[in-house]
Amino acid sequence: MATPLLSVAGISKRFGGVIANRDVSFDVFAGELVGVVGPNGAGKSTLFEIITGFYAPDAGEVRLDGARLTGLSPDRVSRLGVGRTFQKLRPFAGLTVTENVMVGALQKVHEVRRARQEALDILARVGLEEKADAHARTLSTGQRKRLELARALATRPRVLLMDEVTGGVDQRSIPGLVALVRELHAGGLTVLLIEHNMRVITAVCQRILALHLGQIIAEGTPAAVTRDPRVIEAYLGQVYV
Amino acid sequence: MRTVAPAVACFAVAGLVPLFVRDAFLLDALVLILIWGASAAAWNVAGGYAGQVSLGHSAFFGVGAYAAALLATRWQLSPWLGLVVGALVATIVGLVIGYLSNRLRGPYFVLATIAFSQVLLIVGSRWRGFTAGSEGIPVPFRPGFWTLGIADKRVWVWIVLALAVIIYLVELYLERSRRGYQLAAVREDEDAALSLGVPARALKVAAITVSAALTAVCGALWAQYVGFVDPFYVFSVDLSVRFALAAIIGGVGTALGPFLGSLLVTTLETYLRAQFGGIGAGLIGIYLIIYGVILILVVRFVPEGLTGWLGARVARRAATGAG
Repeated sequence: MATPLLSVAGISKRFGGVIANRDVSFDVFAGELVGVVGPNGAGKSTLFEIITGFYAPDAGEVRLDGARLTGLSPDRVSRLGVGRTFQKLRPFAGLTVTENVMVGALQKVHEVRRARQEALDILARVGLEEKADAHARTLSTGQRKRLELARALATRPRVLLMDEVTGGVDQRSIPGLVALVRELHAGGLTVLLIEHNMRVITAVCQRILALHLGQIIAEGTPAAVTRDPRVIEAYLGQVYV
Repeated sequence: MRTVAPAVACFAVAGLVPLFVRDAFLLDALVLILIWGASAAAWNVAGGYAGQVSLGHSAFFGVGAYAAALLATRWQLSPWLGLVVGALVATIVGLVIGYLSNRLRGPYFVLATIAFSQVLLIVGSRWRGFTAGSEGIPVPFRPGFWTLGIADKRVWVWIVLALAVIIYLVELYLERSRRGYQLAAVREDEDAALSLGVPARALKVAAITVSAALTAVCGALWAQYVGFVDPFYVFSVDLSVRFALAAIIGGVGTALGPFLGSLLVTTLETYLRAQFGGIGAGLIGIYLIIYGVILILVVRFVPEGLTGWLGARVARRAATGAG
């Protein structure tokens, strides 16, 4: 069996008395699109912060293609090839859309003119080319989601972690975003997707992990996981089982 | 793309003035406008482009001024050397303050910078054996270019103009280079910048350090020009506020803004000094009130500063002219 691209092994994290992650382990292989589901407070976001180096785990480690990421600063994790978006969107509000994406592109491209060209190409890919010269603060939530994606893509990540791509977006914008994620994956991108919306995740993922109270309670195809009684219980409570 | 044409015009005018103007009062005003503009621009490197607002930049200015004065009086060394030594010492101080910027955010960082300049004020005014204490240091006038003993104010205009242009070019670099874009990202949102692989901490420290060194150079030249270093002036909060104020009024994070801000603020102050000196000396302090009013008006009505405001007007006129 091939070595996994992203390997998460025995991650635990507690905040005071609250256990956010307990012994979480899983692998993501190159070219996969893996989803992480779970109700609020299941520990999905904490897991993301740990993988991307923003939080230090109490135990366990994360590896990218065999190289240890745990203990590195977020910027180094990014430079090694882990891209991310934020659930709470963080555009560079005072910069233009193109400049936002250029900052991502400039990680690998050292020449400003080439970075600008690359940013424009990526904006076309995510459907934001018309907004290229607008200031980021003028974008709608759906457009900001696309901007986050474009910016992260510009760093040419080996694996992209997306946090709630459709969260807080109006219903009409969801199909377009789902299609975009599919397209990026079809283009060869390895993706780890956090998603609250079960319909979205079953629509795009090949494999999903269900997290509940910090632990992985189910793993498998979308069909299998959504039928799993423990997952249904976690989402809906005992009554519906 | 922001154009450099207005800046080229401004600097060209400043460079040509000495060819036509002989009036010492006007030349003196121009030298000061350029020195304060250069200092505000140096402040802008940290406060504007990196978003690390400091109200303790007089610390660096004073370090530069003392380096030039002490090297000249104690070891009879050239002020040019003092300029280099001042920049080096300021670099070290800048590294320390830059390190603080990674621990302290927002108002806490501002307070730390003020405290830092006040510590240097105490050192400067109390360490009598070395700095001559609160009496200050008269900088000896030794004629010659190497000793910067230049009586001709026209030459001074060109010297400080060269410094102004150098600092302007540093600002331009921050607007157009890879590091500049990355620094802007850090200013806008540090976590997002980190997620894109930007080495945020190192960049912030670098920006503050460069800003510190450039401010020290301004201080060294100023000491040589004015001929006297007083610790209560060069390390004062007043001076730090002056740098920040000129940059904010002119346009924070714009390359030419600090110079326009300095033009306005320094002209006003020089005018008031001339107007109310002598009998009305008590009224000189009125410039502080006027500063305050201008600052409030600018922040309220043109938060982008004079540069942004003028730029928008020019753009509008061009648009209506074309249409």
